[in-house]
Amino acid sequence: MARALWSGSLSFGLVNVPVQLVSAARDLDYHFNELHEKDKARIEQRRFCKEEDIEVGWEEVAHSYDLDGRQVVVTDEELGSVQPRKTRTIEVEAFVELADVDPIYFDHPYFLVPSGESEGTLRAYRLLVEAMEKSGRAALGRFVMRTKEYLAAVRVRDGALTLTTMLFHDEVRPTSDVPTGGKKPSKKELDQAVALIEELSTDWKPDRYEDCYRERLRRVIEDKRKRRKIEAPEPEKQPQSTPDLMAALERTLANARAGRPIREEPSEDGDRDELESLGKDELVERAKDAGVKGRTKMSKKELVDALSGD
Amino acid sequence: MPRRSIWNGTITFGLVNVPIKLYSATESKTVHFHEVHMRDGAQIEHRRYCTKEDKEVDYDDVVKGYEVSEGTYVVLEKDEVKAAAGDRGKVVHLTEFVPAEEIDPVFYDRTYHVGAGDDKDAYRLLHEALKRSERAGIGRFSFHDREYLVAVRALDDVLVLHTLRFHDEIVSGDDLELPSAGRKPSKQELQMADRLIDALDEEFDPEKYEDTYRDAVLDLIKRKAKGEEIDLTEQEEPEHGDDLMAALEASVGSRK
Repeated sequence: MARALWSGSLSFGLVNVPVQLVSAARDLDYHFNELHEKDKARIEQRRFCKEEDIEVGWEEVAHSYDLDGRQVVVTDEELGSVQPRKTRTIEVEAFVELADVDPIYFDHPYFLVPSGESEGTLRAYRLLVEAMEKSGRAALGRFVMRTKEYLAAVRVRDGALTLTTMLFHDEVRPTSDVPTGGKKPSKKELDQAVALIEELSTDWKPDRYEDCYRERLRRVIEDKRKRRKIEAPEPEKQPQSTPDLMAALERTLANARAGRPIREEPSEDGDRDELESLGKDELVERAKDAGVKGRTKMSKKELVDALSGD
Repeated sequence: MPRRSIWNGTITFGLVNVPIKLYSATESKTVHFHEVHMRDGAQIEHRRYCTKEDKEVDYDDVVKGYEVSEGTYVVLEKDEVKAAAGDRGKVVHLTEFVPAEEIDPVFYDRTYHVGAGDDKDAYRLLHEALKRSERAGIGRFSFHDREYLVAVRALDDVLVLHTLRFHDEIVSGDDLELPSAGRKPSKQELQMADRLIDALDEEFDPEKYEDTYRDAVLDLIKRKAKGEEIDLTEQEEPEHGDDLMAALEASVGSRK
């Protein structure tokens, strides 16, 4: 089982359940180390006193806070003394409807697992799981982990208590200065847009989405290892504004209903479609016939652009 | 003062292009300290050293290495890492839409506010359509050379963009190997627990929960600034009651 990041108890009225916190998210990213280009040796960060220009061990480092321009130095022991009330306890303060908590508040997911295998602990844990599952509510509480206090929502997922840390209300910014505006869409436009959303609607199936970035990075590392050439793809161009929203909606909806890619322009531009289906050699041949300059250095897309007159 | 946008690009929804600007929707209020040298209070600086030569190294001479086996690295130039960013550019194509409430909270990572760019009518149309359909648009988004899975939905009068975790990054309950649960709770215990949940039931009001630890740390700093002596005694832990039923009864009783 995953490593416990915190252990304490979940307290619900006078019932205390000893629990441990384990992460419910795994880090699958590729991590890199900094190396010195010349000799490929590892880089390490060393602390230096700016004043004296000498190296400083971490035991000689203190924390300083800028209080209105004045430096206040605080030690680890002093920080350790400011633990509010019960630090090893997640005290349930309220039960709320999970749907009322906007996802903007959610931060990191964890599981709460029973700590130890004593009969009393397992019974209390099971009681909480069953009672909370039945109520469909999430419990809110606060706890301190390392040097930070967290607000957290506890609920049941996959038969276990799951805890998601949350942001405090003053950490969520207001939306008042976000630019919006625009004219109210006509009923027809809105109906078309909603119809399009419904046409493209599906259930949320998370396993349909893979992390393509992780996969591409894996391939880049593999290519480099085999000394293959690494080329960055050309980023997609910024699309133009839509001149006629209604026409764009109608064309998209027609595409969606016909099972075509939704961003396919209808084939008034049949030439272009045909050109795109050709291989690069064929395109270069045609460009030669048409007298296109610089054709041998063009990408496939540039050749299509040149030949279709776009 | 208007906020500075951190990314300008386009959200597409079929052939409708919606120019947008992104803003961070959250800001950490954790109390941040900087490191100082205990002896003279001077700032601490981090310097990069080559472990082989024991010499300081300029950032320009630093490359990224992926360790394939102990001590063996595949070295990537900064540009090569960028090649993994893909060809998405500054476009988020919303290719499908899902009922927003189906996305479990464990998937949500960071949130950004989405503001209208040049074509405000298109922004308004997407906002109203997402609001009315109660759906979130799913797409992919490239930011700082990394690609994310995102959900775009309407929140009040604005659009928000959430980055989402991928399914294989989420640990399932089955992976936990929980010890088989204890005795099934009695009907009576469940009833008492229900009553306790009901007694604590309320509307979610985020402003009710303040970060008391942050306040305590700031208070400590102020006391320290005045030259006060700080009490270093630890607090006591709560006791674990053994009698579940008695604890439940006492809890419900105390809430009446």
